Amino acid sequence: MAEALATDPRVSLLGIDVTIRSNEVFLSGDVGTRQRKDAVAEVVGEMLPGYTIHNDTSAEELTPGIETEHLS
Amino acid sequence: MIRVAAVGDVHFGEDSAGTLQPHLPEVADCSDLLVLAGDLTRCGSADEAAVLAKELDGLPLPVFAVLGNHDYHHDESEAITGVLEQAGIRVLEGDAEVVTVGGKRVGVAGIKGFGGGFAGACGSDFGEPEMKAFVRHTKATAARLEEALTSLDTDVRICVLHYSPVAETLRGERLEIYPFLGSYLLAEAVDRAGADIVFHGHAHGGSEKGVTPGGVRVRNVAQPVIGAAFKAYCLGDDGHEEC
Repeated sequence: MAEALATDPRVSLLGIDVTIRSNEVFLSGDVGTRQRKDAVAEVVGEMLPGYTIHNDTSAEELTPGIETEHLS
Repeated sequence: MIRVAAVGDVHFGEDSAGTLQPHLPEVADCSDLLVLAGDLTRCGSADEAAVLAKELDGLPLPVFAVLGNHDYHHDESEAITGVLEQAGIRVLEGDAEVVTVGGKRVGVAGIKGFGGGFAGACGSDFGEPEMKAFVRHTKATAARLEEALTSLDTDVRICVLHYSPVAETLRGERLEIYPFLGSYLLAEAVDRAGADIVFHGHAHGGSEKGVTPGGVRVRNVAQPVIGAAFKAYCLGDDGHEEC
């Protein structure tokens, strides 16, 4: 499953946690964008038809502005 | 005082146009140069790199990049490098370049890096050919990085990697995958050659701040870690100076 999510061009991400319990799939990890969050569910749904997918992957908006760290 | 904007793991796809542009005027205002710490593309295609190149077109700063593991996925790393270099983005893979900022010579050395793990929990140059090849690749990478850094006779030395040189900036990632996220050999190379700061990406679930055993600051600038399009780092003699 992890390899499918990494190699499918709709997702192409490593590091997504996939946990399968009975007929439920739990997904977590950072996926960057809303589109990719939806794509993760799509890919998993194709691989595991009939499973209930709990898509807890995060696609947080980037905070605006550029923070600066001062290093002496 | 040198101001460096940095980000890694932007994972540009063909639908990513416009995602960085709103932030570029501020990058130009608050920075003297921009570094990109790998995983520039989503799937490793030259078409995706072209979208990123177009996105950064016109930025009035030197831009330095290293490739990441994603950028090798479709065996188009040379084409990706070509696209980016043609757009004026200097792609470093075991080499270095010097720019002058405010009368100071600033050297940037970079390489993708590779894995292997960290002291006490790392792979060894022993056993099957595949295992030896894995570790020897990181050894060779570290040697090239050391040579590139050493070549810099500059006031400031900046190092850009994709893989991490320290375990500290991986905190938050699962321990089991640390060997795939970086190698202590990279930190040894940095410490032998000397640098003012190391930027890396790759570890989306890691932590921002670390330091090599030799005292060189390390910053994980993967976009999910910094939580912003870019972050700026002000390297100066007086930490109270405003950037």
